[in-house]
Amino acid sequence: MKSFFTENTIGAAFVAKPIQVGDKVITLGIWDTAGSERYEAMSRIYYRGARAAVVCYDLTDSSSFQRAKFWVKELQNCEELCKIYLCGTKSDVIEGDRSLRQIDYHDAQDFTEEIGAQYFETSSKTGKNVDELFQKVAEDYNSTAFQFMTEETGVDLGQKKDSYFYTCCHNN
Amino acid sequence: MMSQRRGIHVDQSELLCKKGCGFYGNTAWQGLCSKCWREVNQREKQRQIQEDWALAERLQREEEEAYASRHQRAQSQPAITPFNKFEERKTKVKSSKVNTVTKFFTPSIKTPPKKDAGPFDTQSTPSPSSSASRQSTLDSDRAAREFIDFLKPVKSGREIFKQCRAFTESMVYKRDMGADELSESVQDFYQNLSERLQSQFKGSSELVEKVMDEVEKYMMTRLYTEVFCPETTDDEKKDLAIQKRIRDLHWVTIAMLCVPVDEEIPEVSDSVVKAITDIIEMDSKQVPKDKLACITRCSKHIFNAIKVSKKEAASADDFLPTLIYIVLKANPPRLQSNIQYITRFCNPSRLMTGEDGYYFTNLCCAVAFIEKLDGQSLNMSSEEFELYMSGQTSPHWPQPTAASSSSGTAALTQVHNSLDLLTGLGERQERVIEKARQLESDLIDWTDEVEQEVQSALESFPLETQNTTANTASGTASASLSAIDSENIENEQLPPPLQPQMFAG
Repeated sequence: MKSFFTENTIGAAFVAKPIQVGDKVITLGIWDTAGSERYEAMSRIYYRGARAAVVCYDLTDSSSFQRAKFWVKELQNCEELCKIYLCGTKSDVIEGDRSLRQIDYHDAQDFTEEIGAQYFETSSKTGKNVDELFQKVAEDYNSTAFQFMTEETGVDLGQKKDSYFYTCCHNN
Repeated sequence: MMSQRRGIHVDQSELLCKKGCGFYGNTAWQGLCSKCWREVNQREKQRQIQEDWALAERLQREEEEAYASRHQRAQSQPAITPFNKFEERKTKVKSSKVNTVTKFFTPSIKTPPKKDAGPFDTQSTPSPSSSASRQSTLDSDRAAREFIDFLKPVKSGREIFKQCRAFTESMVYKRDMGADELSESVQDFYQNLSERLQSQFKGSSELVEKVMDEVEKYMMTRLYTEVFCPETTDDEKKDLAIQKRIRDLHWVTIAMLCVPVDEEIPEVSDSVVKAITDIIEMDSKQVPKDKLACITRCSKHIFNAIKVSKKEAASADDFLPTLIYIVLKANPPRLQSNIQYITRFCNPSRLMTGEDGYYFTNLCCAVAFIEKLDGQSLNMSSEEFELYMSGQTSPHWPQPTAASSSSGTAALTQVHNSLDLLTGLGERQERVIEKARQLESDLIDWTDEVEQEVQSALESFPLETQNTTANTASGTASASLSAIDSENIENEQLPPPLQPQMFAG
């Protein structure tokens, strides 16, 4: 399971990931989107109809947290049904040297509560928390799917994630 | 009858249809009633269309004949089949272009004239006969056969086929409906059918998907000519706009877009070429799913190019700029029409989820980016951008070493080299011309000088001249002769001429 995210899928901008939720299998369609400012104007095309978004930022780079906040606002404005997951990346680096952390855990947690999102700190290097994150995405989708769907046909979820674990918001 | 109102008197008979059918006419319809006008208008339009087709067909035939006679020898060689294939596609495109031209000729696209002609006319004469439409009938016949073959082993396949056929035929007559309505009814049909299949096959979603793919293939092959780039939309205008836009952006380099691709590596440039071919090929497919497959193949080649160049995994931040670059280089034919067609008539589940949907979304983004592109998005000032766009200057080619190592296929560098050579040649030619002019003026100066000297010499020795003229007695040559003589300064030093002397004796 762990290797699925850490090795096989790096370098794939699109992944269809089946996840077991109870007695059902939910397939997440995970899209990587370009996070650079240049393509900001086009980003809406990507998350149209998305039901979940993982907004990533670099725990060792406070400017990337500001970018993440921007994306959160953008998503909240455009996609009401889209659940947001805030994700601090490179947790392995911080575990190695705590002084490198630039975004306090509680600050991030507070912000996440404020926007009604979920907060995770992950490492794509060790794979820590990555599966937990997507498991949570799948479970949340499963529980909300009943509210919105008359018939349980769609096991597929157009789910979007800002850049593959590390790319999106931390570059600027 | 009194039809007086506010002082304007109009005779009742003037209001009636000129054909005398008893209904009221309208000046906008040349005094005919709506029914008669439609008839007249329709006939004229039909005639026009047929004439256009005849002309177009003749032109194409002539062209093909000319081409065939020219290339007979080349075609007899078996080694060039891929080229033949390419030519085939080219002629196909050509015929579709002819199609577009006739569209320009038929007046008033906005008012749907075929509405009434629909159920009656189209049955007898499907559409203006042409090689293109004949081809499409062949295609749809084949699609129907394949569809039937596919459905034979499927439970209640007969029923499915009947429904699809009925719906498809009904769609043919609705073609002057707005594109959005057409799309909506097709999407509704997809959804209803797939829901029914879902319950019928007890949730075997794989089978449902397979059937739906075949349904889409059958229906869209049949409807392609009617619903691709329909006259009711401005798709065609958008096609031309984006095509022109991409042409204007020809100067955009790989470095400006920050494309992480190194075309100097053979495998990379190979992938780039394949990606370009795939995205261009999209236009030749009829079924939305096949078009999507072209986009996906193109994207896979792009990923390969990035992977080989960067020697590490690619993310969307690498992929999107590269896709934009590929679209700029390829300038795919009828790009907007294709995107619209896919959006309207593809199975929606495919566009929202799955790999194809992801890459298609990226293509839409790339197109949106190209449309909105400005100086800022290329990291340059807007003045610079405007200069490049207007074609006044172009970013200097050999942009030393950095650019030449990061960009530039062999062909491109060759072009640059030739350009450099040409500029060198131009400079040299200018220098030659300048020198020639100088030589010319030198020559003129020299003759003037000589003339002046001659004049002055003449003035200083007038007597001598007279003498010589008398002596030689040849009128015209005298001047030059005397000049020569006048210069003969030694004359003075000569001993006086001998005088005759008398010797007595």
